[in-house]
Amino acid sequence: MTRVRAPLGEIVARVLRGAWRRNPPELEILEDELDEVAPLLLACGAGALGWWRVRDSNLRDSPTALELQQAYRLHSLQSAVHESEIKHLLTVARDAGAEPVLVKGWAAAMLYPEMGLRPYGDIDLCFEEKSYGRAAAAFEGLDRTRYQVDLHDGFSKLDDLSTEELLSRSETIWIGGESVRVLGVEDQLRIQCTHALRHSAWRPLWFCDIAAAVESRSVGFDWDRCLGPDARKADWVACAIGLAHQFLGAEVQATPVEPRANQLPSWLVRRTLKNWSAPYPGLYPPLSYTRPIRTYFRDPRGLWGTLRMRWPDPIEATIRMQGPFNELPRLPYQLGNAFSRIVAFLRGYDKSDLEGW
Amino acid sequence: MMSKRNHFAPRARKEGLVIQRLADEVLVYDQERFKAHCLNRTAALVWKHCDGRKTAGAIAQALEKDAGTPVGEDLVWLALDQLAKSRLLTERTIPVSGTGISRREVIRRVGIAAAIALPVVTSIVAPKAANAINCRASGQACTSSAQCCSGVCTGAPSGTCA
Repeated sequence: MTRVRAPLGEIVARVLRGAWRRNPPELEILEDELDEVAPLLLACGAGALGWWRVRDSNLRDSPTALELQQAYRLHSLQSAVHESEIKHLLTVARDAGAEPVLVKGWAAAMLYPEMGLRPYGDIDLCFEEKSYGRAAAAFEGLDRTRYQVDLHDGFSKLDDLSTEELLSRSETIWIGGESVRVLGVEDQLRIQCTHALRHSAWRPLWFCDIAAAVESRSVGFDWDRCLGPDARKADWVACAIGLAHQFLGAEVQATPVEPRANQLPSWLVRRTLKNWSAPYPGLYPPLSYTRPIRTYFRDPRGLWGTLRMRWPDPIEATIRMQGPFNELPRLPYQLGNAFSRIVAFLRGYDKSDLEGW
Repeated sequence: MMSKRNHFAPRARKEGLVIQRLADEVLVYDQERFKAHCLNRTAALVWKHCDGRKTAGAIAQALEKDAGTPVGEDLVWLALDQLAKSRLLTERTIPVSGTGISRREVIRRVGIAAAIALPVVTSIVAPKAANAINCRASGQACTSSAQCCSGVCTGAPSGTCA
């Protein structure tokens, strides 16, 4: 009898189910399924989490599992290296009279049982607008081949809330004896959700982050603060948590997002699974933009291919067009998003912006 | 030669290393040589006791206390040999055995006698697939569906991406 293989995205989801927990559920997977999805897990930075799941299964000694274990070891070491780098970067910033807020990668990784389970490349530091210039000047002398640091002027690229508001809710935590500010847990979760959707939900790791944040919340977690006053954006957040719930088993019982998490738009579910079946960074902006569109005017070879690559993903288009997540077709949002990008390009606003055309 | 070996007190290198302790192993990143190593529990225990004062015999005794089981001096030498080769000791080389017994023979002997795992120091290398940032376009050769942007490799293991 021929066995029908599950779609790759579903196998990826199965491997990562509960992977952010100290004791994840037992993994049921065939060796050839693991062989098939391991390259995907490794390509999207979820290799260590794959090992975390497979290490207690009967496949733990398989060659593929050992590849995942190598990823786990590498990421564990990288996290230790990053930690010492972060301490140095904090010192550089503070010496310049600028107090950073550590966001994204490291802030997400700290919610995992081991930091090495959640790899990250850049160290993202946000500064108040008034101190950004001082920080940027201080960081100019850094060896950029050693320190992969991304400085942000305020939080406008991350969230709608003002810098003052986000700072007033931020928290201080400790990294090996050094204090550092991170966003409040509610703001952090909201930003993680909208970020994942704005980038087409292609990286399963983002949803592990969301699941880890939801499950590690304290009793006093303020859902109103997390979801915010805008009903449409609150629904985006609920849908992102819903994806983490439906695909990865994030616990949402007795939360305000539970009803929505159990009833997601069918296109959103389909599209996310499709994206998870090929979670290659090179398929998504900015890495998918191999050369600026204006260069095709001189040499149109490959234009059709690049236009196809730049056709907006329905999830991303909906977010960028501020659309609702309902059952209606996404084509109008995709057309609208494509049109707005063309207009921006023609106006010359976006020439150097890799996130535009 | 044996006398030199008897008095040899190895010292673990500390400078230029990033050390990460996991449940069953210790990971070490050499910032000077840009190399990563993985020490299993036994190798890590030996390395921990390399304080520049203890000889191999004393390390074996310390290991016996840690592991709660008899540990032969050969096992310590086996670990020291690997630690030195990985540049995790301040000494580049360790005094060789004067008995003329090959390393393979030592491993065999130690393996039979040891109640704890043989010491192993391995290099950590990035998994090949971890470097893949892109997938293969339609029509390109593939061996599995995971290599294709479409997620479908027709005719795998020697097929083409759909």
